[in-house]
Amino acid sequence: MAHAHRSLAPRRWLRLSPRSARVRLTLLYGGMTMLLGTAILALVYLLSYHSAQVATVTTAISGRKRGSPPGSVAAFPVGALHRLVQVPAPDHTIAVDQRNSDFSHLLEILWVGLALTTLGSAVIGWFAAGRVLRPLRKITSTAQTISAGSLNQRLALAGPDDEFKRLGDTLDALLARLEASFDAQRRFVANASHELRTPLTAERTMLQVALADPDMTVDSLRATCEELLVAGVEQERLLEALLTLTSSERGVDHVEPLDLATIADTVLRSRDAQARARGLSVQTSLRPAPAGGDPALVRRLIDNLLDNAIDHNIPGGEVTIATAVVGTTAVISVANTGPPIPADQIDRLFDPFQRLDGRSARDDGHHGLGLSIVRAIATAHDARLSAHARPAGGLAVTVSFPAASASAAGPHVSAPPGVLST
Amino acid sequence: MRVLVAEDHKRLATALAEGLRREGMAVDLAFDGRDALDHAAVNRYDVVVLDRDLPLLHGDEVCRSLADARSETRILMLTASSTIRDRVEGLGLGADDYLPKPFDFAELVARIRALARRSSPPLPPTLAHGDLALDPSRRTAVRDTRPLSLSPKEFGVLEYLLAADGRVVSAEELLERVWDEAANPFTHTVKTTVGRLRAKLGEPPVIETVREGGYRI
Repeated sequence: MAHAHRSLAPRRWLRLSPRSARVRLTLLYGGMTMLLGTAILALVYLLSYHSAQVATVTTAISGRKRGSPPGSVAAFPVGALHRLVQVPAPDHTIAVDQRNSDFSHLLEILWVGLALTTLGSAVIGWFAAGRVLRPLRKITSTAQTISAGSLNQRLALAGPDDEFKRLGDTLDALLARLEASFDAQRRFVANASHELRTPLTAERTMLQVALADPDMTVDSLRATCEELLVAGVEQERLLEALLTLTSSERGVDHVEPLDLATIADTVLRSRDAQARARGLSVQTSLRPAPAGGDPALVRRLIDNLLDNAIDHNIPGGEVTIATAVVGTTAVISVANTGPPIPADQIDRLFDPFQRLDGRSARDDGHHGLGLSIVRAIATAHDARLSAHARPAGGLAVTVSFPAASASAAGPHVSAPPGVLST
Repeated sequence: MRVLVAEDHKRLATALAEGLRREGMAVDLAFDGRDALDHAAVNRYDVVVLDRDLPLLHGDEVCRSLADARSETRILMLTASSTIRDRVEGLGLGADDYLPKPFDFAELVARIRALARRSSPPLPPTLAHGDLALDPSRRTAVRDTRPLSLSPKEFGVLEYLLAADGRVVSAEELLERVWDEAANPFTHTVKTTVGRLRAKLGEPPVIETVREGGYRI
């Protein structure tokens, strides 16, 4: 496709089609000059004609009455007409004939002048339009060579900050956004295929190795089967996470009044044992935070945040979870102690399949989708997500939902601060 | 034959190691890119099975480093992405072969063997010496039409000595090439294995002991 466009491009610019802006501009220049020229020349002609007529009549009259020498009415606007009045015109008709022939001569000169002016302005217009439209031509030819595979190209128009430069810059910004989104998509597909195909390969290898074992026993086969079952559960979890991610990216189907504090409380209860097993202390401050949204998705968001806070923690560390109404937003924040995170890695954490360096093996039940699901759900709810690395290590994430009015939130039960501390 | 499997998916890595060891290869495992380079710096591998998407150091970087070192190590890249572009990129980085996931274990084994044969000088698919013949891919060894029943290590030692083509091979070299890094270098493993191998090969003796040197066929 791209090649076809490229080969068409030069011809399109040379073609004298009325659809070409250059031709239109040229016609416009030429037409305008012709109209204006015609108007001016018509004016000149009419004025001359009028004056000449008056002069002839005056000369004829004065010549007959006073016999005054010709040329006394010399104040004629057009030099060519002088002869008219110089004519000793006892006979009026001769003067009029002479005048008519001179006027037709003048008309010829005017026509030629008009034609030359029009032609000149058309030529100048053609080149001027070409010059003015040159940036547009560059934009077109560059845009034609850019395809999905070469989105890294930019127009990079030079020159003054005029309309074309602004158009070029706008297109460049659009290309940059497109490139970023294409890259993200490509990375996602590559990562997803890796995450899906690798366990599949592992399962196939396990089966083939087990079957090829010459000393195969019932026990060895049973061990393989059990391992395969565990691998299958992991794949199920990954598929579920991928489905959640895509479905939450699609948006929220139904919005209900909910309270972040209630949901956080429920999630905390289900994670309590997990946190305790890791020797983590959980600090809570759950104040009513009514908002609107899909309760299942919001629960998943809080669940993933807590999951992340517990998993990426240090022994004897801490998890802090708080909900509150701040201004016009219902806010939930989850913070945890943990290994230090470089500030420039924070954004990456929310990309699918991203994990910080240092985690080596992938089959630890985590696929690096948890926080990207958090981001997708937050975006679907028009909630603002902010995250920062804590100076002492660990991560603090805050999600601000647009708050619902207290009456719309419905009844909610919220735990008093600190009630769940372990 | 010594093989390094660099793969971050532990389940796949261990399954591969188990299967390859049963094929008579000495297999070490690395779960990330840096680990893989560390292994390759210490040991001399015939083939490195390298997953492209490794943590800490990407498989491409590992591949480039290994290829830059111009070692005799052959690189077999594994990848989940099966687009032609990825394949071309991988081979351009210095990989010797490329296998998209998911693959069949038998194909992986065949490709590893094919790569190992490409060491210099190239080895024939079947090794022979006198009335002794050994087929590495079929895992069969025959002496004078009598099939030999060899353990993986015995097979490995015999294969290595035959491939050495008359060169004296030290016990240390055998330990490095036939055993993986789990082997204890201070045991008499090599000596006892060679002893058992000799017994199975029978008369006349094939493996010759070179004093203070090692073994030779």
